[in-house]
Amino acid sequence: MVPIREQRYTILVADDSEMNRSILRSMLEESYDIVEAEDGLQAVAILQQMEQEIALVLLDLVMPNMDGFDVLSAMNKYNWIDSVPVIMISAESTHDFIERAYNMGVTDYISRPFDMMVVRRRVINTIMLYAKQRRLAGMVNDQIYQREKVNNLMISILSHIVEFRNEESGLHVMHIQTMTEILLKSLMRKTDRYNLDRETINLIGNASTLHDVGKIGIPTEILNKPGRFTPEEFAIMKQHSQMGADMMKSVPDQEEPLVKYAYEICRWHHERYDGRGYPDGLKGEDIPISAQVVALADVYDALTSPRVYKPAHPHEKALSMILNGECGAFQPLLLECLVESSDIIQREMAEDTTARSDQRAAENAMMELSQYEELSTTDRTLRVLEQERTLHRFFTELSSDILFEYASAPPVLTLSPSGVQQLGLEATTLDPYHDKRVQELVGLDLLTELSQLLRNTTPESPVVEFHCAILLNGRTVPVHIISRSMWSADESPQYTGAIGKVELEKEVSQ
Amino acid sequence: MTIQECYAALEGDYEEVLGRLYSEALVKKFVGKFLADQSFQLLESSLNAEDYDEAFRAAHTLKGVAQNLSFTKLYRSSHEITEALRTKDCALATRLLPTVSQDYEQTVTAIQSFQSS
Repeated sequence: MVPIREQRYTILVADDSEMNRSILRSMLEESYDIVEAEDGLQAVAILQQMEQEIALVLLDLVMPNMDGFDVLSAMNKYNWIDSVPVIMISAESTHDFIERAYNMGVTDYISRPFDMMVVRRRVINTIMLYAKQRRLAGMVNDQIYQREKVNNLMISILSHIVEFRNEESGLHVMHIQTMTEILLKSLMRKTDRYNLDRETINLIGNASTLHDVGKIGIPTEILNKPGRFTPEEFAIMKQHSQMGADMMKSVPDQEEPLVKYAYEICRWHHERYDGRGYPDGLKGEDIPISAQVVALADVYDALTSPRVYKPAHPHEKALSMILNGECGAFQPLLLECLVESSDIIQREMAEDTTARSDQRAAENAMMELSQYEELSTTDRTLRVLEQERTLHRFFTELSSDILFEYASAPPVLTLSPSGVQQLGLEATTLDPYHDKRVQELVGLDLLTELSQLLRNTTPESPVVEFHCAILLNGRTVPVHIISRSMWSADESPQYTGAIGKVELEKEVSQ
Repeated sequence: MTIQECYAALEGDYEEVLGRLYSEALVKKFVGKFLADQSFQLLESSLNAEDYDEAFRAAHTLKGVAQNLSFTKLYRSSHEITEALRTKDCALATRLLPTVSQDYEQTVTAIQSFQSS
C-alpha cells in the first residue's frame, strides 16, 4: 500500500477489547500512526486534543463509559464529524444499530471478523476520499485568499498614488480605513437602522481609501501650497469631492456596491450633519452613513497626525475637540461610537499598517470561507493550527510553572509536564471535579468556587486571580492562581473552559 | 503441537483466520494474547453480581474476540449468551454460562498446550 503523500496519517482506534485494538494495530501500523482509546470517554478526550491530526476513527459501538453512539453524538455536536471520517468496527451486526450509526454520520462499516485486506482497503479509501476533499478545499481557500489580497493591493496602490501626489504618506488612507471599520462595527452593534453587516462594513472600509481620489484633478501648486488658501484656492480645493464623485460615476460597473459606496464617500465626505458642509449642503440622515463615518474618520486622523502647521494631537485632545464641535458636526450616535471605541482605536492606529492589511486579507478570506460549511477545515488553517500547537507545546514543556488547561465539555483537565511532576497527577484527567485525587489536592469547595468565578467572567474580561492553599509535593502551601476563561467564537459566546497558571505565593517563595 | 492442531483442539477454523490475517506469525501472536483477555472472567463475575449491563458488554467483547480469532465453538456459545443478555433474559443467560465456561476452558487448555509444546 503506497500512501499518496509522504505524510503518515493518524488513526484513532476506539475499542474496549485490547485484543481487537491490537489486531487492528498490527494490520495498520506499517502505514499509519495508531492512537488507541479503551472506551468512548477516552476517544472523545483524544479527539478533543488532536482532532486536527486524526485522519480516521475506527469505532466500536459497545463500550463502557460512553458507547460508540455517544462518541458519534459528541462528534456531531462539535462538528468533528465533518472533518474526521468514522468507520464502524463493531461486532454488532443488527440492522437497527448499523442504520442508526449511518444516520449519525459514519462513513463505512467493517464487520467482524476483521479481514486484513478489507480493513486496509476501507481505511485507505476513506482517508483518501477525505484527504482529496481537504486538498480541494485548501485550493479554493488559497484562491479566495489570493483574490482578497490582490483586491486590497490594487486599492492600496490607487490610494497611495493619491497620497503620493498630496505629499502625504500612505498611512492616512490606512488610518481612514481602520477607523471607518471600527466605527461601523460599533454602529452595527448599536442600531440596525443602516443594515450593516460584516460584508458591507468591509466594502465601505475598502471604498473609504478612495475618499480623496478627486484630488488627482487639483493643480499641484494649490494642493501642496504650504500656507493658508486664498478664498479662490479654497474653492478650487473643495472641488475634489465632486471630481472624485465624477470619476466614480465614469466607472463601468455602477451596480457594484463598492463603486456605489466609493461614489457616496467621494462626494459627501465633507458634508456636515448640520447641513453646513459641501458640495451639496446635505443635512442629517440625507448624508449616506458611509460618508458620515469617513468624514469623522478623516477629521480624527487629521487631528491626530502631524501637519506642517501643527503637531499631532493626542487621542484625548482630538476627542474633546470633536465633541466640542470644533471640527465639524456629526451624528450624536456616531460620536458615541467614537468615544466607546477609544481603546481599540488607539491600539489599532498604533499597529503596523502593512501587517494589518495582510491580516485583513486573511480575516476576510476566513470570513468568506466560513460561509461554505464544507470548507470549514482546510489545509491552511490546519497548518496554522499545527504551528500554534508546536509553539504552545514547546513553551509548556520548558516552563517550570504549573500550567493547566481545562475543557468543559466533556470535562478534561490537562497539565504541563511540570504540573504533572509537582501535583503528582496524570497529564490528562477526565472529569476532574469527580476525581478523588484532584479533590484531595485542591478541595471540592475551591474547585467549585474557581469554576463559578470563571463562568461569571465575560469574553471581554476573562481573567480571574485567585488566592488559596493547595497540597503541593505533600505540603499545604498558599498559591496564587491566574486563570483565563475561554469562549466559543459564536454570536453569543459559550464558556468552553479555562487556561491558567498556579504559582507559589511570593512571600513563601522568597 | 502445531497451530493447526491447536485450532483443531479448540474447535476453531485455522484456514479461515489465516485467510484474514495473512500470516501464521500474527495468528500465533494473537492466539497467545487471548490468554490475557479478561472478558470471560468479567462476564462470569458480573453475571454472578447480577450486573447485566456489564455482563452484556463482556459477553459482547468475548464474542468479538472469538470471532476475530475464528474460535468457532467459543464464538457460537458467546454469541448465544450475548443475545440472551441483550434481551435481558437473565435466566437463559445463567443457563448458558456453563457452556460458555466449558468452551472457554477448552480453548485455554488448547492454547496452553500449544504454547508449552
